[in-house]
Amino acid sequence: MMRIDKRFTGVHALRQVDFDLEEAEIHALVGENGAGKSTLMKILIGINQKDSGEIHYLGHQFNPRDPRHALEMGIGIIHQELNMMDHLTVAENIFIGRESTKAGGVLLDKRGQIRRAEELFRRLNMNIDPRETLGRLTVGKQQMVEIAKAVSHRLRTLILDEPTAALTDAEIDELFAIMRDLAARGVGMIHISHRLEEIHRIANRVTVLRDGERVDTKPTSEVTKQQIINMMVGRVIYEQPKIHSSVVPQAPVVLRVDRLNAGKLVRDVSFDLHEGEILGMAGLMGSGRTETARAIFGADEVQSGTLEIRGRRVFIHSPQDAVANGIGYLSEDRKRFGLAVNLSVKDNMAMATYDRFQRGPFIHAKEVRQVSEDYIGKLNIRTPTLEQLLRNLSGGNQQKVVVAKWLIRNCDILIFDEPTRGIDVGAKSEIYTLMNELTREGKSIIMISSELPEILRMSDRILVMSEGRLTGELPIEKASQEAIMEYATMGHMAILSRS
Amino acid sequence: MANTTLEISRMQRFRERGLKWALAPAALVILYVFFGVFGRSYFSYPTLVNIIDAAYYIGFISMGVTFVIISGGIDLSVGTVMMAAAIIGGTALKHGFPMVPSLLLIIAAGLAFGFFNGIFVSRLKMPPFIVTLGTMMISMGVGSIVSNVSSATFPIRGSPGGWFKDIFLYLGPHGRVIPTGAFLLVIVAVICHLLLSNTKLGRYTYAIGSNIEAARLSGVDVKKWQMLVYVIAGGTAGIGGISYAAIYTTVLPAQGQGFELYAIAAAVIGGTSLSGGIGTIWGTIIGVFIMSVLATGLPALNLQAHWQTFFTGVIVIGAVLLDMYRNKKASEVRIETPADAYKASMLEKIAAMKQKRSAHRAAGEAKEAEAVGREIAAARSELRETFAKMKAEHKAEQSRIRAEEKTADREFVEMLRLKDLPKQGETEQP
Repeated sequence: MMRIDKRFTGVHALRQVDFDLEEAEIHALVGENGAGKSTLMKILIGINQKDSGEIHYLGHQFNPRDPRHALEMGIGIIHQELNMMDHLTVAENIFIGRESTKAGGVLLDKRGQIRRAEELFRRLNMNIDPRETLGRLTVGKQQMVEIAKAVSHRLRTLILDEPTAALTDAEIDELFAIMRDLAARGVGMIHISHRLEEIHRIANRVTVLRDGERVDTKPTSEVTKQQIINMMVGRVIYEQPKIHSSVVPQAPVVLRVDRLNAGKLVRDVSFDLHEGEILGMAGLMGSGRTETARAIFGADEVQSGTLEIRGRRVFIHSPQDAVANGIGYLSEDRKRFGLAVNLSVKDNMAMATYDRFQRGPFIHAKEVRQVSEDYIGKLNIRTPTLEQLLRNLSGGNQQKVVVAKWLIRNCDILIFDEPTRGIDVGAKSEIYTLMNELTREGKSIIMISSELPEILRMSDRILVMSEGRLTGELPIEKASQEAIMEYATMGHMAILSRS
Repeated sequence: MANTTLEISRMQRFRERGLKWALAPAALVILYVFFGVFGRSYFSYPTLVNIIDAAYYIGFISMGVTFVIISGGIDLSVGTVMMAAAIIGGTALKHGFPMVPSLLLIIAAGLAFGFFNGIFVSRLKMPPFIVTLGTMMISMGVGSIVSNVSSATFPIRGSPGGWFKDIFLYLGPHGRVIPTGAFLLVIVAVICHLLLSNTKLGRYTYAIGSNIEAARLSGVDVKKWQMLVYVIAGGTAGIGGISYAAIYTTVLPAQGQGFELYAIAAAVIGGTSLSGGIGTIWGTIIGVFIMSVLATGLPALNLQAHWQTFFTGVIVIGAVLLDMYRNKKASEVRIETPADAYKASMLEKIAAMKQKRSAHRAAGEAKEAEAVGREIAAARSELRETFAKMKAEHKAEQSRIRAEEKTADREFVEMLRLKDLPKQGETEQP
């Protein structure tokens, strides 16, 4: 008998969520980005601690302290990003931290370890050589190694976080076969996925989360894909969506992207951006939105495709070229890609524009200070001084500093990648107001966002991406959460058959 | 009241920032005074000249290294590059090169090695540690090859070309010694400081060291600036080479190994962060002088020179440890326990009493002031005792909770074991 029952009164992330998993069940957990899926799972394996509520595991109250503790109790997780050591062999990866030893615990029993790994693979019907170096396996095989590793811990509960995201169709079939096999042995599994097609193939039941609340739990035989989508998006909309595009008709095209290809996640992307427009880019995680933005900005290598700015062909091979052409990029991960958190507010603001502040060999410190002060006032950035280190500012104010950096540089095409991620509600609306002001001044914005209400509130036009391709374009007048979700969950088979 | 809070905040600000900048110079002064008091004839002009003499070559190369470290890199080659550059110049001199071009050749050789490092780090994206380790060995080899494994002797005073020694140490007509090199060191330091704080190069050095990807995505030509940083390190190594030749006259081939570590140590003592983005030239100069005060001071205490390396090591570790501790303290999130709340409220009371006392004093009521003073002392001792007691109670409570959790867990595990669950391993395939 295996039953997990948990309830929380989380501040925001999870509100009184109930969830149960039965023995030998495959239970799909779906929801938009930020609906609370990962938080729920993190609490279950002890990465996060719940604020209140109870977890019952095998009929016993259970309070996981950390992942190790959960693992001892037989609860394991396969993360979306694999956490293994590429340079070690498969067998070493499986038994890391609990190696078999001989000669009184002094020497490693490599042969015994390999034998045990072989046994394990045989039992799981996996065709993998335990002597192989892990890094040489395909992603699909690596994932199976991770599953085997989890199973070798005598697991009773396995959480799979987007296990199919990086797999080919054949590998997915193989994975599902293994999952069914494990279920037949009594292992309960929680399957988190964005691909709604899969749910009917693999899961017995499905739970939909939305804004930290459980919408419903249903046997998969009783719901259609459309019903699941409706459950995912049917939230109360706190903010009024935009009704009409505020772009003037016949506004000139500022940026034209034509058949852009880059990396794995940008395939034949073409679109226009008009002057004064906020072009929303929707899609689920890993749909290629950020990659498209980075390709346009020259941050990643572009395989093919052309860019035109105001009708003139431009060649952008590096961020330097992009900035010279007036494109500014606000990364979704501010700390890693947008800011130097150990430098001052002033230094961060001036970072892109030191050329302009140079007088002879020296930087005109006074001018830098004046301009920075100007923008601190204009954007209402709350900082005690110009010299304050950026790491001491709140998320909203940090974001404004990045905006200021590009405005000081006179960029008129701005790419906002998740502009309000990690920013509290008050600062959010300030960022929105700022974006609207910018477009009124004639700047053009591409806004990538995973929050549909944000997309609907801000955009004049919406592009939807799925698996590296543009799957839909919606004028704001026709856009709805359901329509966007429909395009965003389109698998690549559907995309190909459509075109 | 407003006045006192202002004072407190000023004290705090000093504790947070001022102390960081004051600490290294204070350590330098304390060391100097210490040796002056306990050492034999340490407070003297010749000793001062010695201190400065010992600071030159490490001083120059450490400034270049500071640039590299702030940019997030490391340069292990500066020491041997300095000596290789010196011996290249000396060999040219031997073959009849005039003095001035020989000296320029030394600088050029330093720049060339820096350029070499820069190419590999910035264009070919190799780790700076590996590249400069290679260059360290290459430059040692180059020195030996060029000089044909013989030493190079620079002109001594009085001989033609001997004037160049005056750049670093001017001997006056009556045996008066003026360490002119100190001026040069200061000039180079001022230039480096201006470069770092007031030019594009400097600001980008900090930006790259702080977050290279953010700098690149801001449209900064990361390759160019990274390259220049290594070229500067090469250039200062060249100047260091000239200073070495001027002070020691004879330069042997394949020398200079270990100097780079002293240069890095100086930067670290001066507060430069090896993870990049943080550091100043002034800090590095202070670090250099701390080391040279040690080098000259320990012999004055009749301690052998190798004690210098010992104490330098202690200071490096101590300086970084102190810095880390202070940073941790500054960013620590403190969980307020009842004991802390009690302490805060008591401290407030004491502060109020102190104010009362000063009010009494101002009014000339000595007796009352004294009474309040006694109250303060009583409150203080009460605070000490109660705080310690509360802390201990809190700790005991914590460990009791932990112990209970552990027992509960053990019981749970035991239960799982006893329960007869299907062992997955033994299920056969259908």
